[in-house]
This record gives sequence, C-alpha cells and structure tokens, in this order.
Amino acid sequence: MRKGWFLPIAAALGFSFLYAPIVSLVIFSFNESSLVTVWSGFSTKWYGELFSDPQLLGAAWLSLQIAALSASIALVLGTLAAIALVRFRRFRGRTLFAGMVSAPLVMPDVITGLSLLLLFVAMEGFLGWPQGRGMLTIVIAHATFCTAYVCVVVQSRLSDFDRSLEEAAMDLGASPVRTFFDITLPIIAPALVSGWLLGFTLSLDDLVIASFVSGPGSSTLPMVIFSKVRLGVSPDVNALASIIIGIVALGVLAATIIQLRSKPRDRQV
Amino acid sequence: MTATHDPTIPPPRRLKPWNAVEKGLARVGITGRMLVLIAPLVWLLVFFLVPLAVVFGISLANKQFGRPPYTPLLTSEEGTVQLTLHLNNYIRLFTDNLYVAAYLSSIRIAAIATIITLLVGYPMAYAIARAPDRWRNILLMLVVLPFFTSFLLRVYALTGFMRGNGVINQFLGLFGIEPIVMMQTDFAVYVGIVYTYLPFMILPLYTTLVKLDMSLFEASADLGARPIHTFLFVTLPLSLPGIIAGSMLVFIPAIGEFVIPSLLGGPETLMIGRVLWDEFFSATNWPRASAVAVAMLLVVVVPIMLLQRAQGAVVEK
Amino acid sequence: MAKKPQQLAIDTRPWRDTANNKPFVRIKNVSKKFGDIIAVHEVSLDIYKSELFCLLGGSGSGKSTLLRMLAGFETPTAGTIEIDGQDMTEVPPYNRPVNMMFQSYALFPHMSVEQNIAYGLKRDGLPRAEIAARVNELLVLVKLQDYGKRKPHQLSGGQRQRVALARALAKRPKLLLLDEPLGALDKKLREETQFELVKIQEQLGVTFIVVTHDQEEAMTLATRIGVMNQGEIAMIGEPTDIYEFPNSRFVANFIGSANMVEGVVSEDEPDHVRIRSSELGCDIYVGHGVDCAPEQRLWWAIRPEKMVLSREQPAGLHGANVATGIVEEIAYLGDISVYQIALESGKRLRVSQTNSVRGNPDAITWDETVYVTWDEDAGSVLTS
Repeated sequence: MRKGWFLPIAAALGFSFLYAPIVSLVIFSFNESSLVTVWSGFSTKWYGELFSDPQLLGAAWLSLQIAALSASIALVLGTLAAIALVRFRRFRGRTLFAGMVSAPLVMPDVITGLSLLLLFVAMEGFLGWPQGRGMLTIVIAHATFCTAYVCVVVQSRLSDFDRSLEEAAMDLGASPVRTFFDITLPIIAPALVSGWLLGFTLSLDDLVIASFVSGPGSSTLPMVIFSKVRLGVSPDVNALASIIIGIVALGVLAATIIQLRSKPRDRQV
Repeated sequence: MTATHDPTIPPPRRLKPWNAVEKGLARVGITGRMLVLIAPLVWLLVFFLVPLAVVFGISLANKQFGRPPYTPLLTSEEGTVQLTLHLNNYIRLFTDNLYVAAYLSSIRIAAIATIITLLVGYPMAYAIARAPDRWRNILLMLVVLPFFTSFLLRVYALTGFMRGNGVINQFLGLFGIEPIVMMQTDFAVYVGIVYTYLPFMILPLYTTLVKLDMSLFEASADLGARPIHTFLFVTLPLSLPGIIAGSMLVFIPAIGEFVIPSLLGGPETLMIGRVLWDEFFSATNWPRASAVAVAMLLVVVVPIMLLQRAQGAVVEK
Repeated sequence: MAKKPQQLAIDTRPWRDTANNKPFVRIKNVSKKFGDIIAVHEVSLDIYKSELFCLLGGSGSGKSTLLRMLAGFETPTAGTIEIDGQDMTEVPPYNRPVNMMFQSYALFPHMSVEQNIAYGLKRDGLPRAEIAARVNELLVLVKLQDYGKRKPHQLSGGQRQRVALARALAKRPKLLLLDEPLGALDKKLREETQFELVKIQEQLGVTFIVVTHDQEEAMTLATRIGVMNQGEIAMIGEPTDIYEFPNSRFVANFIGSANMVEGVVSEDEPDHVRIRSSELGCDIYVGHGVDCAPEQRLWWAIRPEKMVLSREQPAGLHGANVATGIVEEIAYLGDISVYQIALESGKRLRVSQTNSVRGNPDAITWDETVYVTWDEDAGSVLTS
C-alpha cells in the first residue's frame, strides 16, 4: 500500500544518512589542509603520504594475506558444515553442531577474541604450539568466525537447490561424490563466491579479534588505523578509506550488474 | 538409428579407484557423512567450544605477574594435585559498581539503539519492498554497500561528521547556530550503532516484507481500513518475525560493542565490551576479563535463544 | 545386420498367459513407510518386457513413491524389486540399468543439450567417438538435431521434454521410468507428444513405466494400467478392462464418469441377477451371474454413454431396466450432449447422447419427462 509521500522521503533520508559520512570522508581526503573538516583546497598529497607510509602499507599487505587465507579456509569448512546441516537428516549432536556453527554470528567480538587468545596461550603452555602469536593465530581466529557466515550463505543456497538435478545425475550413473562435483558445486558456485567475498571482507575489517590474538610485528590494517584514529582525525586515513570505498563500490557494482544481467535468462534452479 | 534397441547387455562398469577407497573406509565404519562432518566439527570444537571452556576456567584464577599472567588452576607438588579456584572475580562483579553499571548501561544503550535502528530501518525496508522490481536490486545494493566498506572507517567517518568542527557543526554554523557537542556522548554511541548496524536491520525486515501478499492490504482497504489501520493491524503483525530477527541481529552484538563506544563515546559511556578490553589490555587482569566475558555471555544467551525461537517460528510459517 | 523386429508386449499380451511368460519387473509385497505415514502398502505387480505400463492415481496414491523405489531413490521398507531376474532392492540408483525421465525434466542448467545427453554415457566410460555418435542418434530420434549446443534455458518446454527423454534413453536402459512426462505441456502439445512417446516406445521396444494422474493419458499410452489408491493397487488391467469392467466403486469413479446406484439383490441366479433399487425407482436386470447373495447390498455402476434416452416408454427387460425422470441440465459439448436427469427419488443420472443429427429441432430439451433404458450387460455390479 503506497503511503504517498511518506515512504519515499523516509527512504531518501535514510539513504542520505547512510552515505553522508562516507561522502564527506571521500571529499575531505582531497582536502589541502590537515584540518580534515575545513576545506582549504584540492590536493592529493594525502594519497601520496599514504603510499609512502611503510607501516600502513605493511599492515595492508598483511591484512590482505590474512583475509585471503581465512576466507579460503572458512569456505571449505563453511561449505562442509552447510552440507551437513542441509543434507544430513538427524544425527547425534546436530543441535550442538548447528549452535556452534551459528554462534559466532552473534557473539560479541571481544568474547571471541579473548577466548581464542586464552586458548592459544594455554596451548602454548601445554603443547608448545602455537609459538607466540602472529599471522597464524589471526588466520585461525578469522577462519573460525568467518566459517559461520560462509555457512549461512551456502546453507541458504543449498536448501533452495533442486534435488531432482542430483537425482538425475545419480540416475544416469554418477555416484554421490561425482554428483556433488559435477552438478551441485557448479550450480551453487555463485553462493560460494559470495561466501568467500563475505569472509574476505569480514576478515579484512576485523579489529577486536585481531587485537587479541596478534603478536608483535603482526599488526593488521584495522589495528594501525585504530591507533591512528584514537588520537584524532588523520587525513591519510581519509585517503585510505576513499581507496577502500572506491574498490568496494566497484566490486559491489560489478557483482550487481552481473547478477542483474544473468537473472532474466536463467530459470530459478 | 537402428530399428531396435538392445538393452540386455549394459556396457561393463569400470571400477573407479575411489570406489575401492570408499569400500575400505566403510569397512572401518567411516562413512561419507562422517568425512563431511569431521573437519568443521573438530575445528569448531577446538577453536570455538574449548576456548569458551578455557575462558571459564581462567575466570576462576587470579591475576599474577608473569607469563601467563594468571595463577595456575592445577598445581602439583609432592605427589598431590591441587585444584585452586578463586571466586573473587565473580564476587567483584557483583560488589564493584562498575561492572553492574556497565552491564546495565550496555543493555540500555543497546536497547535504545535497537529501537532507533528499527524506527529508521523499517520505512527504508518497506520502501524497498514496495519499490518496482528494477529498483529493488539497486536499492538493496545501496544498503549493502556500506556494509562491505570497513566498519572501522565508517565509524571514523562519523567522527568527522560529529566533531566540534565537523561537518554538521559547520553546516549549523552557516545559520549562526552554536556548535553542538555530539562526540563523547551517549548520543554519539546511539548514532554510531544505528549507523553501522542499519543494514542488519533492513535486510531481515526486507525479506519478510517482500514476501507479504499485496492482496492482504487490498483486502484490508476493501473492508474499510484507512492506510494507518492497515499498517497497524495487518502489516506490522505480519512483519513481526522480520522485526524480531533484525532487532536481535542489532541488539545482541551491540551489547558487546567496543569500537563504537571507544571512538564515539566518552569516559562516562560505560559499555561492557570496553570494560572487558580495559581489564585485559590496560589492567592485564586476564582472569577478571574472563569473568566479565562469562557474565556477558550469560547476558547475551537469553536473547540468542529468543532469536532461535523466532527463527524457528519463521521456518514453521 | 538387420535385427528381426521385436515382438512387442502390446501385440503378444504376455500377461494373459502368466504360466509361459516371465515378467520383466517383479514388485513383490513392497511397502514404504515414512515415519508413521504409509505411502505404499503391500504392492505386488508384474510388468512384462516392452510394455508401456501406466501407474495411475491421484496425489497421495503412492504412485510416485513406487516409481522412486524402482529408480532406487527410496528403499522399500519391506518387499523386493526384481528387474530382469536380478534383485535390485538395495542397489543404488547409479548402479541400476534403469533410467528416469523427471517431472521437472531436471536438465543440468550449466550443460548444453549434447552434454546433458552425453552425461550418462560419460559416467560409463564410453570412448568419445562412440558417445558423440550415440548423442547424434538420439538428437535425431527426438528431432532436435540443430539444438545440440543450446543450453536448457534457451529451449521451449516441449523441447526440454524431448531432451530429458533423449538423455534418459541414451544409456539404453532396460527400464525407463517416466514421472508425469506430459504434465507440464499444454493440451495441444500433450496430444502430439502422447503419440510420439508411443511411437518411440514401439520403435525401441523399451519397457516403459509411466506415472500419471491423467486418466486420458493413461488410456492413450498404456498397454496396461495399474490404478493406485492410498498406497495400494486398486486394479490392474488393459485399458478396456479398467473402463468397462471396473472391479470397485473407486475404479469406476476414478476412470471416466459413472452413475453409481445402490441396491439390494432380489434374485440371485447363475444366469442373471435382479437388483431392487429405490434410488433408481425400478429394478435392474443383470444378464449374467454375480458372486453375491440374496438381500445383499451392493452397487451398480453404468457409464453415461451406455444409456439411452427416449420420450416413449421403452419395452424394458423382464420388467426392469427402465427409469424415468425430468431433464434438469444439458451440457452441449459439440460431439455429445450430456443430460442430467432428475429421478423421483432425487437421484440424478448423467446420460450422454451423440449429436448424430445436425441441429436436431426435435432434440430432447429441458424439463421434459424422459425414459432412460439400458442393456442387461451395460453396467457393472460392484461389491466393494
């Protein structure tokens, strides 16, 4: 039921609220002055400063590596978990398993971070591994909570999946494993890609958990940004933010266009 | 095409190598199902469940200097093993005002912020759900896009907006209005939570709203209800599952938030996530931090169960 | 070398001589339970080679479950399934010489038509050249030679159906199962495809088992029909038998339409039976003996086309087989008209008459009092 003027205005206000701070961020990244909110002229010097800051660049590279690794591990674990939850009928410990898989979605970061750090410290005490904390521990931590998100995405795709396609494959002589790789996997591939991207984004963005489980020399990008930003506004962070926003916007735009173009032709499978 | 179809001799089946492996494993009792389950199960047990147990264990220790900075639970000397559990962390949780105040304040702030998010997000979700098909995807993309940009950076963007000499105050200054203090207040935290968690509210709401049958609204109007009545008596109740799901997705993580109160809140803004962080990093009191975590978990568990119940109800519908 | 043309089941009718003919598919006492729900209950069925057998029933009749057990997607809770002498009850679907054409066609969306058809052959490890030749054969068979490279979403519904059929026939299965094969097609296409299916089946001599809820389809396609109701077989027989000699009220009502009349046996002789019916307002004289007892309550079913309407009182038979009533409704269907006659008891009879006289000015019309009469063998006596 159309409410006339109310809805479009409310929506417009909402969207402006969402985007105004981001837009201002981008605008002021081109600001001459370091007083980030007072415009004094157009300049790209902050971008220059950004690229000559080894700490930031090092942290960015580290974060990218961690994100890629965590997302990939989470993809495998999350997909397996999704298969188990969607395809297996009752099994012992199913509720526990389902709970464990979905809990990281709602658990506060601080608890996840603290618990994993304490685990690593205890493990180091008992087993001698992991030796100190660093990239490895961050990857493990990120993979753990990203698995939950991947599982949600893949689960939702799998539960919509037309089982008769798998039955047709088996009817034609493909074993269940063969069917999975020939039929199921290619068809749910878009969900797998979304899941990976989601995991990648979340890992790249995480501050709290990384703060707990990282070690000396393994500062991630969010950690560096946070320490800078805590002290006040920092224009090179604006520049960094604009770059990230630009990349993300392009990515999401591309994904949406691909989705829109493939939609009218494809039947829902 | 030969006129007849001779189905009596099927081509010989070549036994693939994995067939043999599969049979061998089955003999040992390892089925395909188990193999699928085992990796995620073991991983989550070790890196999710066990850590929680460790947190609980360490909450029963005491702070001490050294590595690790807590007293061991199990000590053995002269052939006896002794288990030492300290309850003082938990006692302190109740006796020291800071903690109780922080918990209550966290719940309060999270609740208020959730309500505001609902009020802001509902019209947006509704507008998207009612928008023509072509627009819907674009609008959804616009909602989701900020989510993919860094959460930290978005909060940082808000600081630029709300500072003493930030964009809003500059804008108000154009009209000669004195700058408003927005940073380091509860208000800033509300704005922060609403701002960052809005997509989490909009998406479940949208999903529920978009599935509603238009003919229900038409029937309501046909029976004489004005738009506001249709909304109150038809739309709202039917979108309840979405409201609950969205609210839980905002409320629960908001309770334990750290970044937002850290960057936007003041020293008066007590939130339990920050308290935990400070206990751990500033006071290096790991056992105390663990006790705070355990208590936080309990505070959070009830809403989680509500969420599961609501999700179950949605599934049944 | 030319093979001698196979003898088709439709010509040899092996079920009429069970002593000398071995069935190709034996379903023995098969039951299937899902939790507390009994989907299939103690079904036993023999199907002969090169038959086109139809399992006919409404939803919930168990026909699809039975088909899935034949394909291997469900395991029977009890009973066995033998195909060509081998026990297939526990064999998984990918090891059975059985292929299925799915109701939704289940074409792999990410593969082309050729790849879809070739899929089963690849699983068998056939050499590439042979696969290509076989795929070509099948494309010609289903008349889709130029569509090989297309993807399923680029085909029409009827074309997709033909690809599904080709894919299912590619491996030359002993048994082909078809799950509501014509359900998704519109009427015109359905009629064309019905004849195509029968032609292909006769050409290849494959044993077909078709599941359908459409009785017209079953009657057109089948060599024999198995009518299912609530998980059990209600009747098995050739289409004529099912239609003309139903064995129960369910079957009589399920296929075509029937007037169902309740009555009491007044005379029970080896050469005739007389039934008193207050519903009908007259007696029914059946010209053959029936396994019943005097004073037994039973039903008598007669098809609308087996009755004759007239304005003048007919002679009847031994003082029976004449009812009278008023014409309430007439449905003009072009080739026939269906009359609804209201009898004095309130019972309504449906009688159909062919419109053999064009624009008959003297046709029976509404509110006329008419007589309805029938032969001594026109109806079926049903005790269940």
